[in-house]
Amino acid sequence: MSEILNVQGLSAGYGPLRVIHDLDLIVSSGERVGLVGLNGHGKTTLFYGIAGLTGWQRGSILFNGNQIGRTRSQGPGRYTHHIVRQGLAIMPQGDEIFHGLTVEEHLDSGAFTKQAWKTRKQRKEQVLDLFEPLKQLLKTPVARLSGGERRMVSIGRGLMTDAKLYLADEPSLGLAPKIGKGVMEALLKIELSNSAMIIAEQNVALLEGKVDRVIGMHAGKLKGEASSALSMHLK
Amino acid sequence: MDIGFILINATIVACIYGLIAVAVSITWSSLGLLNLSYGFIFSFAGYGAYLAARMLSDHPIVVLTAGILVGALGGIIICMLVFIPLHDKPNFTIRGMIGTLAISLIGSQCLLWYFGPKNKALPEVFGYWKVSIGNTVLTSDKIGIIVCSILMLVFVVLWMKSSRRGLEIRAMMMNPHAASIVGIGIRKTGFYVMAITGGMAGLSAVLLSQTYYIAPFSGLTPLIKGVSIALCGGLGSVQGAVIAAIILGITEALTSRLLGGQYVLITQFLVIITILIIRPRGIAGLLDKAREQ
Repeated sequence: MSEILNVQGLSAGYGPLRVIHDLDLIVSSGERVGLVGLNGHGKTTLFYGIAGLTGWQRGSILFNGNQIGRTRSQGPGRYTHHIVRQGLAIMPQGDEIFHGLTVEEHLDSGAFTKQAWKTRKQRKEQVLDLFEPLKQLLKTPVARLSGGERRMVSIGRGLMTDAKLYLADEPSLGLAPKIGKGVMEALLKIELSNSAMIIAEQNVALLEGKVDRVIGMHAGKLKGEASSALSMHLK
Repeated sequence: MDIGFILINATIVACIYGLIAVAVSITWSSLGLLNLSYGFIFSFAGYGAYLAARMLSDHPIVVLTAGILVGALGGIIICMLVFIPLHDKPNFTIRGMIGTLAISLIGSQCLLWYFGPKNKALPEVFGYWKVSIGNTVLTSDKIGIIVCSILMLVFVVLWMKSSRRGLEIRAMMMNPHAASIVGIGIRKTGFYVMAITGGMAGLSAVLLSQTYYIAPFSGLTPLIKGVSIALCGGLGSVQGAVIAAIILGITEALTSRLLGGQYVLITQFLVIITILIIRPRGIAGLLDKAREQ
């Protein structure tokens, strides 16, 4: 079990706003971690902090042994593509999609890193096996899809790379319970041999018994870790 | 005779200014930069083609290629001087506009200082033959201008539709934030965008120099027309820019035929203002908020 992500003393925010306070987190390979917390308590900011998309940040982030956290006085997103190329896949919350691209082009754009681009055909098939309904929609612009289908596209896009760390931000948000469950199941089906996954979620019930451990997040800090069996009491 | 003549002139104007308008549109939507330096790139590419014609050979392909390549080089220079240092600073839109305009003026002055105020003429790239269709006579340069600019436009659109770089640029156009999430580097994409749009401006410079001379400030009118056509078509939309170029080309040809050449700018801007009053986001402007930061 090697460490994939080691966050030490991370603070991050936007402008004068400090969202994450001195946060420590270690994720090892093969682990599937649930991150539970209410809206506005910093789940998304933690993910964006790891990806270098926050306005500023302080602290150390070791990803695969490489330091990717640094004091960013420059604008957000400056180094994000370098971090993504090191093997980070982000499945963002909300509508972070390209409205005019078709589903197929979307999946291609997920395999944008050089290594993944060469094998994108096989990857596409794997993703389509996971999300059956997308098969008929390959040539449709994403703007015309329903919410659930869009979420499948954005998660599928994240799965197109050979990532070491998958960050799934509220995959079931805003979806009908049944579809949300389907999306979650697809995420849980992904094999993590030497990679890891963090799933942020407000609904503990969806994660119960399915992830290796559950971490609560409150006011920019991690509160209490619990193994999966204990997560029932967290509710 | 009249209708054919007007149509041909309209098409030529639409082709040349359309190239610049599409370039302005692509830069704006993918980089968020309203590039006002096409005036400089335009004259820069014109002089590049002129030097190539004098020093290398005046073979048409050499002249056209030199124009495109020097235009692309001009785009890369602008990218290094304006886009790279400014793109992550606050108020980038305004600063980028001022920066590119300043470089356009400085660059044109440098060209004036180096080459002198005397106009330069490019060799006739397309020869001297002509074709008649019905009553309309088509000269070689007119056919050449139309064919070349349509080829360039088709090439750019196909390249953006099919290649990995094109996917990268289109992704940036639609959602810059999500683009960085999938691993697209803003700075590197900036170079590709500026090079290809600079190449388009360079080609239009060579094409326009078949009718006009090359001078240090000859890029000013194409810049103004290109930007206003891009605005009229809706910034960020390639189809919109093409439609607006056709409308304004017809306006220009009709005006110079019916009223006289001196009224062209007046009628053109009247048409642009009317279109923007009726449809403030332009003919095919994007409604999504990706670029409104």
